[in-house]
Amino acid sequence: MKIGGSYTLPVARERAYEVLQDPEVLARCMPGTDHLAKIGPDEYEMKMKMVISAVQGLFAGKVRIADQKPPEQFRLLVEGSGKVGFLKGDGLLTLVSSEASTEVRYEGEVQVGGVIAGVGQRLLDTTAKLVIRKFFEKLTEFVGEASQPAAG
Amino acid sequence: MISQNFEYSAPNNLNEALALLAGGNAKVLAGGMSLIPLMKLRLAAPDHLVDLSRVADLKSIREEAGSIRIGAMTTHWEIESSPLLRAKSPLLAVAASNIGDVQVRNMGTIGGSIAHADPAADYPASLLALEAKVRIVSAKGERTLGIVEFLVDALTTALDPGEIVREIIVPVEAAGTGVSYQKMVQPASGFAIVGAAARVQKSGGKVSLVRVGMTGLAGKAFRATGVENLLAGTGGTAADVQKAAAVVADGIDANADLHASAAYRRQMAKVYTARALTQALSRAS
Repeated sequence: MKIGGSYTLPVARERAYEVLQDPEVLARCMPGTDHLAKIGPDEYEMKMKMVISAVQGLFAGKVRIADQKPPEQFRLLVEGSGKVGFLKGDGLLTLVSSEASTEVRYEGEVQVGGVIAGVGQRLLDTTAKLVIRKFFEKLTEFVGEASQPAAG
Repeated sequence: MISQNFEYSAPNNLNEALALLAGGNAKVLAGGMSLIPLMKLRLAAPDHLVDLSRVADLKSIREEAGSIRIGAMTTHWEIESSPLLRAKSPLLAVAASNIGDVQVRNMGTIGGSIAHADPAADYPASLLALEAKVRIVSAKGERTLGIVEFLVDALTTALDPGEIVREIIVPVEAAGTGVSYQKMVQPASGFAIVGAAARVQKSGGKVSLVRVGMTGLAGKAFRATGVENLLAGTGGTAADVQKAAAVVADGIDANADLHASAAYRRQMAKVYTARALTQALSRAS
């Protein structure tokens, strides 16, 4: 399944590039992430609990960042599996400056297998978009908070 | 076979049900047409199910002050065959008659369907065209939301933990209102590839009211206000309908799956919107 789209973050490109690779920020913003740890250079291990409607699945997997060209582009390789199925993704993120904000364009290919793909095919595309949208919404919220001057 | 153990409660009245749900951990079982298959496939594993089928308060269709109130546990078949709805607000009955198959319609409920919020479910298109309201209750109190506010995203509603849908409120139609629901059905699942609900009124030869709800096309059902704006005030000719229906997918991030690509869905959305509008206009007087 191909995925693609764009989202605008209200920060400069350098800052956007930095937050998109910060494991702590990613763990906070990725829906359902409850564990994310560095296991090598640009490689992380993660555990996620996805709850979408009545469906819930625990996934354990790895995220790797490759082909870095700061501050404009990097590749994200994701692999995960759980009882309900597995997921493998390869995405290219391109950051484009526009005044005070940054447009993050993403495109890639996601493979989903197992029970979830067999019975949920009809909803995979919608669900992938939902998760990506939630991630960027939370990230926008996070960068918004982080750029507020500290109180007091 | 359901593989995991879970607690099961079947309360006899609404207060008891709400008390059981107040903890926020229990999952509501309505008709079970989505939840039970998910549990059998081990995709859902709730610890506690609260079955609402014995709560009599939630099963009714009644008219009150210009509206028709439909209890959340009313089945699709009861909606489809309701003389009251057929006579005074037929769009929802038409939508119900399009759902799944007879077995599903005998078990599945309107409250369960909208709380599950499948992006291709039939009801939301009609509920949007009807500008329906959703009455929500919990142990803490109650609130009423418009259907637009209720449907937050794909498989996501505005319901908080502990809250359930109590009833769905649709208007009694003014005389002369024409309605139609046109659905391109995916034969294996019975879900809509796209579905368009239209509701129109005419006055002095012009289209005086037009509401269009779309399901299946995007992550959530939506009201096609672009189409409505183009058709309102026109004579409602075939050319007017085509022109208005042509914008239904504008700016929409269309769904794609094995059965239909995004481009195909966008095209079919236009075709089915035009069909729904044409039929609704032919029924309006």
